[in-house]
Amino acid sequence: MTTYTICVFTSNTIGLLNRITIIFTRRRINIESLTVSETERKGVSRFTIVIKHESREEVEKLVRQIRKIVEVMAVFGYLNDEIVYNEIAMFKISTPLGAKPLDVETINSKYKAWVVYWGLDYVVVEKTGTETDIFDFFAYIRQQHDILEFVRSGRVAVGKTEQGLVEYLPEAEWAYYL
Amino acid sequence: METASVTPDIDTTPETVQLLSGAQALMHSLVAEQVDTIFGYPGGAIMPVYDALYDFQDRINHILVRHEQGAGHAAQGYARMQGRAGVCLVTSGPGATNLVTPIADALIDSTPLVCIVGQVGKKLLGTDAFQEADVMGVTMPITKWNYQITTADEVPEIIARAFYIAQSGRPGPVLIDITKSAQLELMTQPYSYERCRTIISYRPRMVPKPEQVEAAAKLINGAKRPYILAGHGVQLAKAEDELRQFAEKTGIPVATTLLGQSTISTDHPLYVGWLGMHGNYGPNVLTDEADVIIAIGMRFDDRVTGDASKYIRQAKVIHIEIDPSEIDKIIKADAPVVGDAKEALRALLKLVHPNDHTVWRNEFRKYDVIENETITVPSLSGDSEKIQMGEVIDLLSKKTNGEAVLVTDVGQHQMMASRYYQFRRPNSLVTSGGMGTMGFALPAAFGTKVGAPDRTVVAIIGDGCFQMTLQELGTIVQNKQPVKAIILNNNFLGMVRQWQQLFHERRYSFVELQNPDFITIAKGFGMDGHTCSERETLSESLDRMLAHDGPYLLEVIVEKEENVFPMVPAGTSVSQIRLA
Repeated sequence: MTTYTICVFTSNTIGLLNRITIIFTRRRINIESLTVSETERKGVSRFTIVIKHESREEVEKLVRQIRKIVEVMAVFGYLNDEIVYNEIAMFKISTPLGAKPLDVETINSKYKAWVVYWGLDYVVVEKTGTETDIFDFFAYIRQQHDILEFVRSGRVAVGKTEQGLVEYLPEAEWAYYL
Repeated sequence: METASVTPDIDTTPETVQLLSGAQALMHSLVAEQVDTIFGYPGGAIMPVYDALYDFQDRINHILVRHEQGAGHAAQGYARMQGRAGVCLVTSGPGATNLVTPIADALIDSTPLVCIVGQVGKKLLGTDAFQEADVMGVTMPITKWNYQITTADEVPEIIARAFYIAQSGRPGPVLIDITKSAQLELMTQPYSYERCRTIISYRPRMVPKPEQVEAAAKLINGAKRPYILAGHGVQLAKAEDELRQFAEKTGIPVATTLLGQSTISTDHPLYVGWLGMHGNYGPNVLTDEADVIIAIGMRFDDRVTGDASKYIRQAKVIHIEIDPSEIDKIIKADAPVVGDAKEALRALLKLVHPNDHTVWRNEFRKYDVIENETITVPSLSGDSEKIQMGEVIDLLSKKTNGEAVLVTDVGQHQMMASRYYQFRRPNSLVTSGGMGTMGFALPAAFGTKVGAPDRTVVAIIGDGCFQMTLQELGTIVQNKQPVKAIILNNNFLGMVRQWQQLFHERRYSFVELQNPDFITIAKGFGMDGHTCSERETLSESLDRMLAHDGPYLLEVIVEKEENVFPMVPAGTSVSQIRLA
């Protein structure tokens, strides 16, 4: 199984998420993570969808099927080495009186994670990194403390090519959205 | 697409500006798209539109069907004849869900439809209101595009987009869900309409890239045993002439898919037959012998390829196709040519060398002889006790000079119609290919006749299929459309029975029908007809049907357990085609 990151650029319309995910469902492909946000251009959304698949050919077909959606402007399928990617995780950690104190220095300097909220008997730690980084940190925290809640954001990614969005979606088209 | 903006025939001078309701705007928009025929069925959530339609009866011919599925199939037949979108108008909830089958059918067979469906008022959306169904959600996977209109102001722009998307590129069905509140409310600005010319995220490529055409031409010019597989896309691109010229210049034999039939006349010397599970012997088998396959506007359906992993492995494949997602989907293309079939063939025509592949072409004739001896001659011999399906089609073909439009349903009769009708004119077969929708033919034949009033339209229907949509006899009669319908009655769901016979040891599981008296039913609807059960009266029966002034139903009692051959059993390779 290879991890693929599929970036989809669309006009921002209601129901599009559904139209895109139907394509995965119909081919019985499980979505590992999915994030959507507006790009630097107003009205243009960016979907970042992570899947695992055995066949590059099938992923290419999937990409072409997504491209076929009327509102989709561009689709790119990437391997991990073709992108810079990260996700964010939050850990809600139990710190009651008498429990082991939080080793903030290790968390900060070794794991590059930060306490973003101090509750009465818990803290919330935020960690940005790849899936591996996050699970390394998860393993460390679990040894030391009770984890009350844990959440990951799903991957965001940008391609490693020198091109910006504008280059694969010609400038003339953008005026429509500005 | 035309680019001119269309001035509505309403007063837009500033002093007297009248603001239109969404429903009125919809009517003006349809007129602006030159819609003159709508197939529909009214109901609660579409009533404001029907009210507006009342004032447009002089410009738009609304045809009241008997069931929304009938509206959809009729619009499909109409669209295929007219080469532009068929329009359906139905209400919310069940009205819309009844359209689901035709929409799915239109998507897989690339038929342009614009389906306008009512929806509950905006405030009621998501409340499980009366006749509310999530039609957007339901139709998302089966439409080329769908959109929910919730304000009157959106109407002109969305309708323009709907027609542009349905009709351009690879055509397909578009659904517009319009809330009752949007139909009723007034626009906040004066109505104006501009036809859609482009959509930023949707730009189908018409003219193929020159380097792709050159690569294809190079393969063709070097080929020893090239072979053209022509699909529905040729017809959709109106590229019949280009296909013929291309084949004639290069001397390459042409086979068609089921939906590609009639793109080239069956008596053309380069036409070798049709492909697929029940297609001709030579055309199927010789796909394994070709060195270059030129697939034009077809999508390598599994009914064409059999086991795709064993299909045309030896050949270089040129795939001319307007929908890039079809390239490499089933069969890897060595030379993809993305573009409109007409444009691609025009470009190719300039680059290909004249040739004459006589020896290669003659190989097809060898197989023809075998097929003729083992299947065709016995099927038409008249030796069986009862009439065989092929005899009816063969005789019909002769009597109509191969110039009628056949509208066929799904099953044995569909395959027999394709086997034995000798198509002489382009765009003469309307059938449900990809979806295989039983019940398609009767309403589709009606729509076909409306779309092609000058042509003889004959529906070939099985006794099972007929009972799925027979209520549309009412529509045919009310609209006085002289549709000729032939029921080939074997009292069986024939194709399923054939499979049960061949692959399930004759365990006939729920395939025998106790049929009603079809002629009495037709007469009940006010349609004339008669039954033919004797071979001696078949010719006269067909004459009577064809000469009848008005719609006519001819029921022919045929051999109960006749099988369609050749047959490529599902999942096997085309070389394993069975002749018996």
